[in-house]
Amino acid sequence: MSFIEFRNISKKYPGADKNTVNGFNLNIEEKEFIAFVGPSGCGKSTTLRMIAGFEEISGGELYIDGKKVNETAPKDRGIAMVFQNYALYPHMTVEKNIGYGLKNMKMPAEEIKKKVDWAVRILGLEEYRCRKPKNLSGGQRQRVALGRAIVKNQKVFLMDEPLSNLDAKLRVSMRTEISKLHRELGATTIYVTHDQVEAMTMADRIVIMKDGIVQQVGKPMELYNHPANQFVAGFIGSPQMNFFDVDVDDHSITFSDGNTISLPQDVLERLNGKRGKMVLGIRGEDIKLDPQSVELHKQDKLQAVLTDTEVMGNENNLYFTFGNRMAAARVSKDEIGQIGDTITFVLLPSKMHFFDKNTGKSYTET
Amino acid sequence: MKKKNSIMGMAFFGPALVLLTLFLFLPMLLTFGFSFTDYFALNPELTHFTGLKNYTDIFKDELFVKSFFNTVKFVLIIVPLQCGGALLLAIAINHAAHCKKYFKVAFFIPVVMSLAVVSTLWMQIYSPEGILNTLLGQMGIDAQPFIHSAKQALPSIAIMSVWQGMGYQMIIFLGGLQNINPAIYEAAEMDHATSWQKFKDVTLPELKPLCVFVFITVTIGAFRMLVQPMVMTGGGPDHSTYTIVYDIYETGTVNWEMGLASTMAIVFTVFVVVLTIIQNVLTKEREGKHVHKKAKTN
Amino acid sequence: MFTKKQKRINWILVGVLLVLSIFFLFPVLWMLANSFKPDSAITADMNSIAAFIPPMPDGTFFDNYLSILTNTNFVRYMANTLFYAAVLILLGIVVNGLAGYALAKIPFPFRDQWLLIIMMLLIVPTETVITIHFLIIAKAGLLNTVIGYILPMIVNPFNIFLFRQVFVSLPDDVYEAAQLDFCGPVKYFFTMVLPMSKTVVATVSVFTFLNIWNDYLWPSLVFTSSDLLTAQIGLNSITSNDNTTMGQTLAVITMVTIPVIIIYSLFSKQIVEGVTSTGSKEG
Repeated sequence: MSFIEFRNISKKYPGADKNTVNGFNLNIEEKEFIAFVGPSGCGKSTTLRMIAGFEEISGGELYIDGKKVNETAPKDRGIAMVFQNYALYPHMTVEKNIGYGLKNMKMPAEEIKKKVDWAVRILGLEEYRCRKPKNLSGGQRQRVALGRAIVKNQKVFLMDEPLSNLDAKLRVSMRTEISKLHRELGATTIYVTHDQVEAMTMADRIVIMKDGIVQQVGKPMELYNHPANQFVAGFIGSPQMNFFDVDVDDHSITFSDGNTISLPQDVLERLNGKRGKMVLGIRGEDIKLDPQSVELHKQDKLQAVLTDTEVMGNENNLYFTFGNRMAAARVSKDEIGQIGDTITFVLLPSKMHFFDKNTGKSYTET
Repeated sequence: MKKKNSIMGMAFFGPALVLLTLFLFLPMLLTFGFSFTDYFALNPELTHFTGLKNYTDIFKDELFVKSFFNTVKFVLIIVPLQCGGALLLAIAINHAAHCKKYFKVAFFIPVVMSLAVVSTLWMQIYSPEGILNTLLGQMGIDAQPFIHSAKQALPSIAIMSVWQGMGYQMIIFLGGLQNINPAIYEAAEMDHATSWQKFKDVTLPELKPLCVFVFITVTIGAFRMLVQPMVMTGGGPDHSTYTIVYDIYETGTVNWEMGLASTMAIVFTVFVVVLTIIQNVLTKEREGKHVHKKAKTN
Repeated sequence: MFTKKQKRINWILVGVLLVLSIFFLFPVLWMLANSFKPDSAITADMNSIAAFIPPMPDGTFFDNYLSILTNTNFVRYMANTLFYAAVLILLGIVVNGLAGYALAKIPFPFRDQWLLIIMMLLIVPTETVITIHFLIIAKAGLLNTVIGYILPMIVNPFNIFLFRQVFVSLPDDVYEAAQLDFCGPVKYFFTMVLPMSKTVVATVSVFTFLNIWNDYLWPSLVFTSSDLLTAQIGLNSITSNDNTTMGQTLAVITMVTIPVIIIYSLFSKQIVEGVTSTGSKEG
C-alpha cells in the first residue's frame, strides 16, 4: 500500500450542481514531493483541504499511512500545513508561534526550546525570534509558517500556495529553500500551486487538475514531453505550446490558411491511422528558423511575417501569424528578427503533438 | 462534522441562550401575557384574564395620562435643545482654530457623570438659596422655585438633562464631520461656493443620516426619563415630573400590579420600537456608503 | 489655507466657545470648589466669585471627604461596585463572547435565525422587562443577593452582536492552523480569539464598567441591605440623610465620579471610537 492513497475521492458542496472534485485517484509514496497544479477553481485546494480534514470528503476513501482517515480529526492525521496567508498567531512572537503546537503536545519546555532553536536556525530567523508577525516581512512570515510546520515532525506536509503572496524574486529563492528543506527532512509533501513553474521546478511528480478532474499525473519532463491532452500541453511550458487547426490525410498536413506540408514518416507512425481534422501542437523551441542541417532541410519549409519580438537575452521569442493563429517560436539569442521580416521555418516532426479536436485527447501519446 | 458543529455551536451559544431565555424571552412573553390580566404579584391566585381592559383602563387612568403627557413634554424640550445644541457645538468646534481638544473634553465632562450624581448636584444648584438663584439675583432676577414648583420642575429637569447629555451627541457629530471627504469641500470651492453654501450643500446633506440617528436616539432617551425625577423630585411636585417609565416602575415594583405595569410597558415598547423602525427606514439609503466606510477601516 | 476673513471668524469662534464652556462647566466647578468647604463657607462664598474657587489648603481642607470616608459605608459601596463590575466584565466577555463567536464562526443549526433574533432584541428597551426581572428575582428569593443582582445583567444582545461583528472577520486559516497545533475550540477561543480581538474586548469591558458604575434603577430595585449597595444607590442614601452637609454631599458625588474620570482618561480613544461608531454604524 502506498503512503497516501486516494480512492475515488469526490467533493460536492451542498447546493452546488457539480462536484468540485470528481473521481480523484492517486497513490503517493513516502518522501515524495507532489505538486497539485491547475487554474483557480480546479479543485486542487479543496483536495488538499480534504487531506487536512478541513473539508469533509463527500465520496471515496482516503488512506494515510495505511489508515482510513475520512472521519479522523485534522490534528490526528499526522499532518502539518503551510497556509497561503501564513495563518500565524498575530499576538505571539516568532518562537511562540513555532513552539505552540509542541507546547500543546505537552512536550517538556527544554525540548521545545531545542526544537525551536533548530527550526529558527535552519530558517535563518535567529534575529527575529522575539518579534511578532506584524513586524516581519512577507518572506520572514513565510519562514515562520514553515518553521511551525517542520518542528512537529509530522510525516506529511501540506502547502497551500505558500509562495503566492511573495514578490517574484523572493519566490524563486524560497522555491529552492523549500526544495532543500524537503530533501533534508524527507517528509512527504503535497504542494498546491497555480504556477506551473513552481510545480515543474520543485515536484517529483505533478498532478494537473481541471474542473475537479485529474488531467494527468507524472514527472515534470513526462508532462512536458508527453502531455496526455491539449489542456496539459497548453498549461505546462512558457510560452504556451502553439496550436493549429489542421486537416491530415494520408500524405499531407493542411493548415487552415491553406499552407501544406507533407506528412512526415515519424508522424505517420505515431498517428496510428488517425486522419481528418485535428489540432497540431508544437512548442516554440521546436519551430526552427532557416533550417541549415541536412536533417531539417528535408522538411517542408513554411513562411510567415513577424508581428512582434520579445528579447529575453538568453533567447528570443518571435511572434507571427500562421494557420490563422498567433504563434511563437523560441529561438537562440543570435536569431533576432525585425517586425515585418519574413521568416522561413520548419516544424520538428518528432515534436509534433496531435489532439482530438473535440475532446482534446492526444492521438500521439497513449 | 455537521454534528460536531451543532454540538460546538450549542456549547458556545448555550450559556447566552439560557440567560437570554430567562431574562429576555421569558420576561417579554410574560409582559405580553400579563398585559391581558389583572396579575397582582402579591396574590397571583386571583389572576383573571381581562382581555384588552388594561389597555383601555390605562388611558382612562389620570395618572398614566399625566405621566404620558409629561414624558411628551420632556421629549419636546429635550430633543430640539440637545440635538440642535450638539450639532451647533460640533460645527463650531470643528471650525475652531484652537483649543479643540479642550472644548471636546469640556463639553463631554457632564456625560461622564452618572444620572444620580448629576441629579444630586443639580438639586443643590436648583435649591431656593442655591448658586443659581444667587447668580440670578446678581442679575436682578427674582429667585425661582425651580424643581420645587409644579410649573418649573419639568423644564428644570429637562434643561439639566440636556446639559448632561449633549456632549455625547456632540462627539457623534464631530465624528461625522471629520468623516466628510475634504475633497468634496475642495470641489465646492472650485465651484465658487460660499461658506454658507458649503454648509448647506455639503455639510448638512452629508450629516443627514447622522442627524436622523441622533434625533431618534435622543428621542428614545428622553422617552425613558426616570432617574432624574426619581432622585430630584420623586415625580412631584403634584406628579408634574412623573413619567411613563416612573409609572411602570411604581405600578410594577412598588404596588406589585404587574398586569397594569405590563400593559404600560407594552405601550411604551411599541413607541420605542416604532421610533427605531422609523430610524432604520430613514437611514436605509445610507447602507451602501456604510460598507465603503467599513472597508476603509479594515 | 484660510483666508484672512475666515481666520478672524475662527478666532471669534474660539472666544465664544471659551465663554460658553465656562458657563457650561459652572456646576462642575462649583461642585469641586465647594466640596472642600464647610457649609458656612459655602453659603458665605455664594455671593462672590469665591463660590467657584476652592479654599486655601489647610488642616480642614479634606474634612468633608474624610468624614464621608470614615463615618459612612461609602468605601464599602465603592468596593461593592468595583467587585460587581469586575465579575460582570469577566462573565460578560465569556458568555457574550462565546455566543458572538458561535454566531460568527460555527455553522450550527438556525444560526442565521438566531443572529436575526439577537439583532431584533437590540430594539427592546430594558424598561420593558425590568419589572419582570424584579418579579423573577423576587420569586427566586434572590432579592438582596449579589447573584440576584448579577444574573440578569450578564447577557447583553448588543455585546453579542458587537463581538460577532468583530469575530466574523477573523481569518479561518488561523483556526485551522491552531487545530493542527492541537488547540481545541475552547482553548482557541480563550488563547487566540480574545487576544486577537483586544480592541473589542477593551471596548466591551470599558462600556460594561461604565454601565455598571452608573446604573441606578436595577440596583435600587434589588438591593435594600446597606452592605450590598452600589456607589450610586449608596450615594443617594448618604445624601438623603439629614445629617449630611452640603459640602459632604458635594464630596460624595465628586468621589463617585473619580473612577469614571480615570476610566475615561485611560480609554478615551476607545470610548470616542465606540461613541462615534454607534453613530456611523446605525446611521
